[in-house]
Amino acid sequence: MARARRSPVIARDSAPTPDAAPHHRQYALPLAKTERLWFCVYLPNLPLEACGPGDCDLAVIEERQGVHRVLLAGDRARAAGVLPGQSPNAALALLPTLRLEERNPIREQQVLELLATWLEQFSSFVSIAGLDVLLLEIAGSLRLFGGLKSLRRRIADGLEAQGFEASLAIAPTPLAATWLARGRRRACIRDSANVMAALRGLPLSCLEWPPTVLESLAGMGITDVGDCLRLPREGFARRFGVKRLLELDRALGHLPDPRNSWRAPERFCADFEMTEEQGDRDLLLAICQQLLQSHEQFLLARQLGTQRLLFTFFHLKAKATSLPLGGARTDRAADHWYELLRLRFEKLVLPEPVIAIRLRGGTPRALHTTSGRLAFHDRPPREHYYSMSQLAERLAARIGNESVHGVNAVADHRPQYAWRARDLFAARAAEVLTQVCQGTDRPLWLLPEPELLSTDNGHPLHQGRLRFVSGPERLETGWWDEHGIVRDYYTAVSPRGAGLWVFRNRGRQHGGEAAWYLHGIFG
Amino acid sequence: MPRNSDTSSLEKLLENPRVWRARSQPGPADGLSSGYAQLDRLLPGGGWPRQALTEILIEQYGIGELQLLMPALASLCAEAPGTEPVEPGWIAWVAPPFQPYPPALQNCGIDLARMLIVRPKHDSEVLWSAEQALSSGTCAAVLLWPQVLDDQASRRLQLAAEKGASWAIAFRPLSARHEPSAAALRLELSANHRGTRLAILKSRGGSPAVLHDVV
Repeated sequence: MARARRSPVIARDSAPTPDAAPHHRQYALPLAKTERLWFCVYLPNLPLEACGPGDCDLAVIEERQGVHRVLLAGDRARAAGVLPGQSPNAALALLPTLRLEERNPIREQQVLELLATWLEQFSSFVSIAGLDVLLLEIAGSLRLFGGLKSLRRRIADGLEAQGFEASLAIAPTPLAATWLARGRRRACIRDSANVMAALRGLPLSCLEWPPTVLESLAGMGITDVGDCLRLPREGFARRFGVKRLLELDRALGHLPDPRNSWRAPERFCADFEMTEEQGDRDLLLAICQQLLQSHEQFLLARQLGTQRLLFTFFHLKAKATSLPLGGARTDRAADHWYELLRLRFEKLVLPEPVIAIRLRGGTPRALHTTSGRLAFHDRPPREHYYSMSQLAERLAARIGNESVHGVNAVADHRPQYAWRARDLFAARAAEVLTQVCQGTDRPLWLLPEPELLSTDNGHPLHQGRLRFVSGPERLETGWWDEHGIVRDYYTAVSPRGAGLWVFRNRGRQHGGEAAWYLHGIFG
Repeated sequence: MPRNSDTSSLEKLLENPRVWRARSQPGPADGLSSGYAQLDRLLPGGGWPRQALTEILIEQYGIGELQLLMPALASLCAEAPGTEPVEPGWIAWVAPPFQPYPPALQNCGIDLARMLIVRPKHDSEVLWSAEQALSSGTCAAVLLWPQVLDDQASRRLQLAAEKGASWAIAFRPLSARHEPSAAALRLELSANHRGTRLAILKSRGGSPAVLHDVV
């Protein structure tokens, strides 16, 4: 005991005998629940993959100490002999068709975030742990996905389908998983007792320690994690920093290692960049459809929908063209949005070919869907019918939002203020409708602006002399704002039999001579 | 003998499905009551033809052309059953020449919550909008004011009205009187200082007639 304290070796491993572990687990069923299992996705070729998929003649260069060097090379470039560390000129000499790209960390981060979003389907806890590492906590997902093997295959297949080369590792602690993935060990460790054995043979280069630390360790003849663990703890901490010691302890599970869960942004935003300008409208529509599908996936995972979308088409020279879409109801279905998009896209004028398309989702809202009917309900589906909101959406998509509205009455005695347009797309679709008791006789048609009538000795004319049927009805109100009125309204009939609603302005703005106006038509 | 053969050949001819006889047409039994008994008596089915196109030719606005429809529209608002997911009973106004005035509509018993005003900017969109509204199954009635309405367009509206079980009413100028139309009912409304005159120009399953001072 005393000896153990004097030389506190990091390795506290094999002291509890191998049979202790199963014994311990047998009586610790509740403990097993809190046990964690970390799945690490390490993307060694991320700088290359972030430049676009499937380009073999590509090499990524990075500036280090003022000199550009090849960082990673695509398959064909590698076959031609392009190696990391070469100068760009040497690489070009080896492969004249080589395309050199500057490393783009921002793009890499975006790709990493997209992947994290994608991985969220496998675990509620996804963490971005560095520039090229993603971590998932999968202990809770194993049952749902049919065990570790099947989950691992799903993730591996998905990554491959998206064109990523990934090294995967599973371990009970996040750091151990990361290191094993970096070491390209196809490790799958479920029991924390085995972590030590797995890490022991791992070269120290997988740990991402500073080169100076690695150099001095190598000078001492220490090249792998096992060597490190055999060193006295105190001396190790003094020479290489407490941080390194803590890292080793965390990797082995002796110390807790809390991680931050990555949260996908609440709003969807995705870009599609094309390698060359594209003017083919059908192709652009197809790309938009793809974007809409990923938008649907995004919202589906959150059980949300949205009422607004914004497409932006970028051109090389001209200003970007934007195409907002709005719906009367919350929806996420790609088909529905595509339908609206098609109607609007027909009329969209693109000044130039398009180089990139961005889809930005609107504020997400809770979406309550209705359950589908079972097939044996024999009522024929009324598929060709759609609801009012769908109709309003379709109309608005083609002829503009401002051209489609409802109406509402307003309690105001001034005729022109006694109504207003009702927005059918407002969030509160069921707006309270005002029941207003107006004067008895109101025309069914109202002119947008009163029309000045010509007069004959003070008598109004419209297709001839008007004959008054009823009136006057004096409206003298609105004195509280600048639109007050003092008017005498009459119902009149024109010589050709049209029922008209006319008024005489009693204000003094016309110098005593009262002007007559036509304000409504009895349709 | 020759007499007998004559009648049999006539009967044969009448059995031919290509022969259409106006009188034998089983008139739509469930016309939508117009609210004007005088008019209902003359319309086949005792009212406006449902699920069909009605054309009203008018010389000018302000001679009661809307008043003629108001009782029927009000009854459509009232009877609309609220079944999911389609909510019928809406009344769409496509390209009205002026603003339909809500206080007056309320006086006529129209439910403002079911009013849809559509103001397309081009004439081609008027017909498109009307067709969409008719075939949606949501609008009980669609009123439209097209600039032009040729035979083909009226046929499309007629079909859309049948598809969506909706009543289409197109207002057209008197000059359209001699243009062919697929409408189930064509009316002509005119007025002078003495009163109004309503003429039934064409009525599927009915016969032409003239009425005075209906509205």
